[in-house]
Amino acid sequence: MRAPQSLKQEFLKKWMVGLQLCESTNQNMSILERKKAIKLSADIAMASTRNGMTCWSRALVAKTSTDFGNKVLVDNILLASQSEKLKNKRTIIRRKKILRKSHRARKARGGRVVARSLAKEMVKKRTQVLKSLVPGGEFMDDVSLIEETLDYIVSLRAQVDVMRTLAKATELMNGK
Amino acid sequence: MNRALLPEMLHCTDMTVLERQRARFKWQQEQELQQQQQQHHQQESFFGDLSGVFQLQLQHQGLQGDLGEVVTRSVKPDPASMDNGWPGLVGFGPSGYENNNGSGFDVNYAISRTSSCQPAVAGAAVDATVLAESREPVMSEKLSPGVGRENLKKRKVDKLQHNTKVVAEDESRDKRVKGCAGEGESMNTEKNNNKSSSTSKNSTKENSAETSKDNSKVTEVQKPDYIHVRARRGQATDSHSLAERVRREKISERMKYLQDLVPGCNKITGKAGMLDEIINYVQSLQRQVEFLSMKLAAVNPRLEFNIDNVFAKEQAFPAPTTNFPETGMSSDLTNPVYLQFNQAQQQQQQQQQQLFSSSGSIPEMFIDPSCFTHIQPSSTWDAVSDLQKIFTM
Repeated sequence: MRAPQSLKQEFLKKWMVGLQLCESTNQNMSILERKKAIKLSADIAMASTRNGMTCWSRALVAKTSTDFGNKVLVDNILLASQSEKLKNKRTIIRRKKILRKSHRARKARGGRVVARSLAKEMVKKRTQVLKSLVPGGEFMDDVSLIEETLDYIVSLRAQVDVMRTLAKATELMNGK
Repeated sequence: MNRALLPEMLHCTDMTVLERQRARFKWQQEQELQQQQQQHHQQESFFGDLSGVFQLQLQHQGLQGDLGEVVTRSVKPDPASMDNGWPGLVGFGPSGYENNNGSGFDVNYAISRTSSCQPAVAGAAVDATVLAESREPVMSEKLSPGVGRENLKKRKVDKLQHNTKVVAEDESRDKRVKGCAGEGESMNTEKNNNKSSSTSKNSTKENSAETSKDNSKVTEVQKPDYIHVRARRGQATDSHSLAERVRREKISERMKYLQDLVPGCNKITGKAGMLDEIINYVQSLQRQVEFLSMKLAAVNPRLEFNIDNVFAKEQAFPAPTTNFPETGMSSDLTNPVYLQFNQAQQQQQQQQQQLFSSSGSIPEMFIDPSCFTHIQPSSTWDAVSDLQKIFTM
């Protein structure tokens, strides 16, 4: 549907719009404020490239707009980047849950059962961590969590690429 | 011979009722010579009013949901006697069920929709079939107080009579599972029950039970999203086991994609290790974003990034003169290695993965020798951590 390069370009465009907005609202910032603004606008831009198709982008927008003062900025960026869809579609799509049979308490006999339960426990722990990492992950089931993680990783990579490129370019330009 | 044909029919969702009936008719001709004809005729009269409803509802695979019923029928002594109600309803041959017995059993279960059958009704059906004609007055008397209320009793009877047969037992378990249905569906069945009870004034109760069962199943079969699952030999076939298996398969499939996407995940086996790797990767990416935004903030005294210049360069992504990593990455698109996986994935992701996941070697991809002139470490991750160290100092 969409080539990754156009994804990057879209992201860059939206990011630039967001940066300009940040710049216009606040002229003199400390380095930390600037960093915050850059990160915020980059995140919003990344989320808005998804057009509200994915859970993580919606969750990201929702999360960033809950911070005080950011709401206006977020709305402005979204407005400027013409992704109205993202704002309107904030409801989280949940999958139908499969009712599971209650597990009977199994007696631990032998090492195999212990190992199995141990492995299960490990997976569960890691899934929890992953849920905390992916925005909006707390509301996802296992399958959609992995799907969203896939999507999120792809977007993060694009973001990192663009940001690195930009940093490189500005460095070169400043050096000259 | 026709058993090979039937699974295809089951799979085919867009088949009209008419085509189905036609196919069924062939079967009918083969196995018509059973003894239920007289009952068939007598019941046709009172099912006539329901048939319109059924024909509307039977768009999709009406038989899939009925597989459980089919299974119970396969073990009962007189399979044909209960099928009488059905041909009157939709014009299906009574043989349709029997033919399903062999093929339908192992072919496919519609998972999500087997869950709405009312247990009482199913039990009633089994009961009725098990009992011979002589016992019928007893059964009808038993059923008469209300179809929905008699669940437990009927199931008990059902178990008593079937506990020697493995399949029947399995089926009853399935029914118990079905008992916990969603509210909407239970409402639906209730409605159907009322309807059928109103029609059952001039009929035996077991038939009304069957109609309500069929009704509920048919309505839920309407849902277009279903999954075909095949249970292998020795695997559990109740709906929950099947659903769980499907879920696990889905997860492992997605995990495979993630394995392709995340560098260094190829050699790791086991879900926990892979999740570890994924977590690390996501964290490193997030930290990179953090770090890069810091870096950008440090490099630029203002938020404006000489955007015109940068844009001019960025817009010319594919141009070979720019020394951005994108130029190196665009050549990756032609690599045929990426084309082999991910057919099932969303196209969007597919394209991105084709570009991004260069067989798990991100560092090489990120390090374009022409681009990183003053950061020249062995791998990008090292570079990032180095720079982070510098930053924190």
